[in-house]
Amino acid sequence: MVRMRTMVASAAAVGALALTAGCSAENATETTPSPGGDETPQQLTIGFVPGIASDPFFLAMQQGAEEHAAELGIELIWQGAPDEYSPQSQIPFVQSMITQQVDGLIVVPTDPDALQPSVDEAIAAGIPVATVDTTVTDQSGLVSHITGDNVDGGHLAGVTLAEQIGGSGQVFLMSGSPTATTNTLRQQGFEEALADYPDIELVGIEFANSQPATATSAVTATLIQYPDLAGIFAIDGTSGTGTAAALRNAGVAGDVAFIGYDAYENQVADLQEGVFSALIAQKPGEMAALALDFIVAAINGDTGTIEPNVVMENVVMTNENFAETSVFQYPN
Amino acid sequence: MPESIVYEAKDICKSYGSVTALEGASLSLRAGEIVGLVGDNGAGKSTLVKVLSGALRPDSGTLTMDGEQREWQSPRGALDAGVETLYQDSGLCPDLTVSGNVFLGREILRPGLLGKLGVLDKPALEREAREALDRAGIGFAGVRRTVNQFSGGQRQAVAIGRAVAWARKVVILDEPTNHLGARQANEVLRVMRKAKEQGLGVIFISHTLPHVLEVTDRVVVLRLGKVVADEPTANFTPDTLLKVITGLSQGATA
Amino acid sequence: MSSNTRTNRENDSAVAAADEIGGGHEPNSPQGRLKQVLMRQDVILLGVLIAMVAFFTSMNPLFLSTNSLANVLQDWAPVMLLAIGQTYVIITAGIDLSVGSTLGLAGVSGALIIRQLHESAVDPTVAIMLGLLTALVVGATVGLINGLLITRVKLAPFIATLATMGAGAGAILVLTKGVQIAGGPREVVTLGTTRVLGVLTIPLLIVIVILVIAWLVLEQTRFGRWNYAIGSNSFAARAAGINVDLHLIKVYMLSGLMAGFAGMFLYLRLGSGSPTSGSGYELTAIAAVVIGGTSLFGGSGKMSGTVLGAFITTSVLSGLILIGVGPYWQQVVVGVLIAIAVGMQQVGAGKLKRGATSA
Repeated sequence: MVRMRTMVASAAAVGALALTAGCSAENATETTPSPGGDETPQQLTIGFVPGIASDPFFLAMQQGAEEHAAELGIELIWQGAPDEYSPQSQIPFVQSMITQQVDGLIVVPTDPDALQPSVDEAIAAGIPVATVDTTVTDQSGLVSHITGDNVDGGHLAGVTLAEQIGGSGQVFLMSGSPTATTNTLRQQGFEEALADYPDIELVGIEFANSQPATATSAVTATLIQYPDLAGIFAIDGTSGTGTAAALRNAGVAGDVAFIGYDAYENQVADLQEGVFSALIAQKPGEMAALALDFIVAAINGDTGTIEPNVVMENVVMTNENFAETSVFQYPN
Repeated sequence: MPESIVYEAKDICKSYGSVTALEGASLSLRAGEIVGLVGDNGAGKSTLVKVLSGALRPDSGTLTMDGEQREWQSPRGALDAGVETLYQDSGLCPDLTVSGNVFLGREILRPGLLGKLGVLDKPALEREAREALDRAGIGFAGVRRTVNQFSGGQRQAVAIGRAVAWARKVVILDEPTNHLGARQANEVLRVMRKAKEQGLGVIFISHTLPHVLEVTDRVVVLRLGKVVADEPTANFTPDTLLKVITGLSQGATA
Repeated sequence: MSSNTRTNRENDSAVAAADEIGGGHEPNSPQGRLKQVLMRQDVILLGVLIAMVAFFTSMNPLFLSTNSLANVLQDWAPVMLLAIGQTYVIITAGIDLSVGSTLGLAGVSGALIIRQLHESAVDPTVAIMLGLLTALVVGATVGLINGLLITRVKLAPFIATLATMGAGAGAILVLTKGVQIAGGPREVVTLGTTRVLGVLTIPLLIVIVILVIAWLVLEQTRFGRWNYAIGSNSFAARAAGINVDLHLIKVYMLSGLMAGFAGMFLYLRLGSGSPTSGSGYELTAIAAVVIGGTSLFGGSGKMSGTVLGAFITTSVLSGLILIGVGPYWQQVVVGVLIAIAVGMQQVGAGKLKRGATSA
C-alpha cells in the first residue's frame, strides 16, 4: 500500500507543483522503496550536479549536502565538471544522472537556457528536480528553487559598514562587474542601506572586472584622493583580494573598515589578520540541505512542506562572532 | 681565355607538388665569364636561381664548386662558399639602412666583450659599406636613411652593389635592370663587366634581350624547365634568340 | 612603389641621385631640422604624455604626489614588461596574444611553489627566488611552444598564440581551481611594497633594468637588427644567411619570459597569485606598442615609443579616478587615445613618404 501511494504521489507531485495546495499530511520518515524497487526498503538516491566541482563555494555546498544526506539516511551522488563552469561540461553529468535513474535531482544550472532541456527531460522521466543558487528559465516543473539573496547581502554589508564607522564618514564601493546580476543586486542593497545614514558619503564606485590589480590600483588612487576614507565594501572575492593588497600597501589595513563578500579561505585568513573587518558569507551548505529536504518531500508526496522559492539570508562573519560563524567558511 | 669551371649545376629537377619547375636543367660557369640565362615566363629561371643560391633544395641533381660537389642546407652555405645573389624584387629589407642591407647577416661587431654580446660597430658599418659600394662602382653618400625612402633605381643599385661587393667566386643577378631607365641600366652592365674583369663568374638573368646580347659571353635558354640551348652569344641575333626562347626554333643556327 | 609610375625622363634626371645614393634630401635650415625632430613619433608622444600629466595635475594636484606616482608606476610595470616582449614580436611582423594568460600561469605557478616551500620552512628569500625561477621557466616554455608552433607547424602567429592563450587559461584553472594562491612568507609583501627612492620598489628597479637591457639589445646589437630585418623582409633575411626560424623562437621565448617576470611582479604587488591576473593585459600591451609607433606590419618601431605608449595607457586610468571621471568613461578615453595616436602615426608616415619621393 505504501509503495502504491508513493508511486502515485511521485508522479503527481511534479504536476501538482504549479497548483500546490499542500493538503497531504503524511510525513514519510522511514526509507521508502525506489520506483522500480523490490521488497526490501532501499535508500533514496539523490543526484547533485554543482556548477563547478572545485570552487570553494561549491565545496562548501557539497559539505553541507553530504552531512545532511547522512542525517536523512539517503545516498547522495555528487558529480560535476571539475574545473570548468560551463553548460558543455555540465550537461553530460545531468544526463548521466537521468540515465542512472536517480530518485531525485538537484542542479546548479550554469546557463538558464542550455540546461532547460536536460531538466525537463529529468522531470518527464519522473525525477523531481530542484535548483540551487542559479536556475533555469522555465521553473514551472521544478520542486523548488533556492538561492542566496544578493540584495540582502549588499544590504547587510552596508549596515555592518555603517555601524563599524559610527554612522558617518566617507565610504567607497569596489565592485567587480557593472553588469553581472550578483554584483548589481549587491550594489543595490548596499546603496539602499546607506540611504538610512545621511552622514555617510559614498565617494565613488569602481569596477575591477575580475582583475585584482585593477582593484588595487583603484583603491590606492581613492585613498590618495580621500585620505580620511572610513570604509570600503568589496563586492566579490577578486575585488576583495585587490583591495586588501591596496590597504596593506598603503599601510592602513585595519584602520579602514573593510567589508568583503564570500568566505573563501584566503579572505577568512585576512579577516583573522584584521585586514577585513567583516565578511558577508552565503550559506551554500544550508541551501543544499534545504534542497535535499524538499526533494525527499517531493518523492514522498509531502508537497505541503515544500516551498517553491526560497531566498536564503546571508551571514555576517567578524572576528567577534567567529566562534559561531566560522562554520560558514567555504569549505569548512 | 677559357678558365676552369667555377660553378656547375647538373640535371637539376625541382617540382612544387604537381607543377614541375625544372626538369634536368644543367648550367656551367667559368671564372671571368658572364653567362646569360634567358627564358619565357614560367620557364624556371627564378627556381634555378634559388637552387643555385641555396634558397631552395633541388629534388635531384648536383651542384659542384671548383670541382667539389656541394649541397647547400641554407643560403648561408652558398654565401660562405662565395656565391652572392641579387634576387628579383626581394633582396632588400626596406626598413633597414643602406649599410644595414649591405651587411645583412654579416654585421661587423665591436671588438672584445661587447662584440661577443653582439653589439654592432655602427661607425665601421657605415664606413665599410661606403667603401664596398665604391669598389663595386657605385657612389654612396653616407646617409642614414632607410632603403624604403629611395627610388626603385636607387634600391637596385644598393642590391647590386651588395652582391658584387661580397662576391668571391660567383655573382648571380636576377633581372638587375628592373625599375631602371636606360642610363642606369647601362651602369649595371658596366658593373657586370667590372666584376668579370675581377675574375668573378657572373650569371645574368634578363628578359631584355639586347642587354643579354651586349654583355654576355654565353647564353643558356630555359624553356618549360629544360635547357634548350647553351651556346656562345656570338651565335645569336635578337631574332634567332627570341625564336629559341619561344620554341619556334631549336638552336641559334637551326 | 611610386617609381613604377615615373617616366624614363624622371629616371634619367634622378640618375645623379642613383649614382650617389641618398644625396640631397637632408634639410639644411635650423627650422627645417627642428620641424623634422618635432615630427618624430616619440617626440609627439612625449608631448601627449606631458599634456596629459599637466591636465590631470591641474585638475587635482595630488596626481603628482609621491603615492600617486608610485601607484602609476606599479600599474605601468607589468604592462611595460609585456610590451617589451610584444615590441620585439610585432617588429618581426608577428603578434603574441598569449602573454596575458602566460602572466597568470607564471604567477600562480610561482605562488604555488613559494607557498609549498614556505610551508616546508624554507628560507623566505630562497623561496621567493625559486618562485621567480619557476615563473620564468613557465613563461619561457610557453614562448618556446609558440615559437615551435609558428616555425615548425607553420601556424600564423595570431592562431598559434590564440591557442596557447586558451590552453594557458585552462591550465590556470587546473592549478588553482579558481582560488587565490596565498600562503607565502611575509617577505613577499614587504618586497613588493617597500619604497626605495620615494616612488620605486625593488621589483620596479628590476623592471627598469630589464627595460634598459632590452632597449639596448634592440637598437645596438645584431640580434636587434635581425629582428627588424625579419619583419621588414623575411625572405631577404633568410637569403642573407640569417636563421629566421631560430630567431623567431628566441623572440617568442623572450615574450614569454617577460610575461613570467610580469606574473611575479603582480604576485608581489597583490601578495597572492590570482587566477584572473593578466587576462586582457595582452591587449593593453599591444595598444602600448601600437601607440608607441611600431607598425603591426613589422620592420619598424622603437622601444622609446613603447615606453611612452605604456605610460600613456596606464596613467590614464588612475588619472581619471583622481579627477573623478566615472569608470564608464575610462574605456572610452583609452579608446580615443589609441585612435588619435594611431592616426598621428599614419599622418607622420604619409608625410615621410611624400618627402622622400620629391627628388
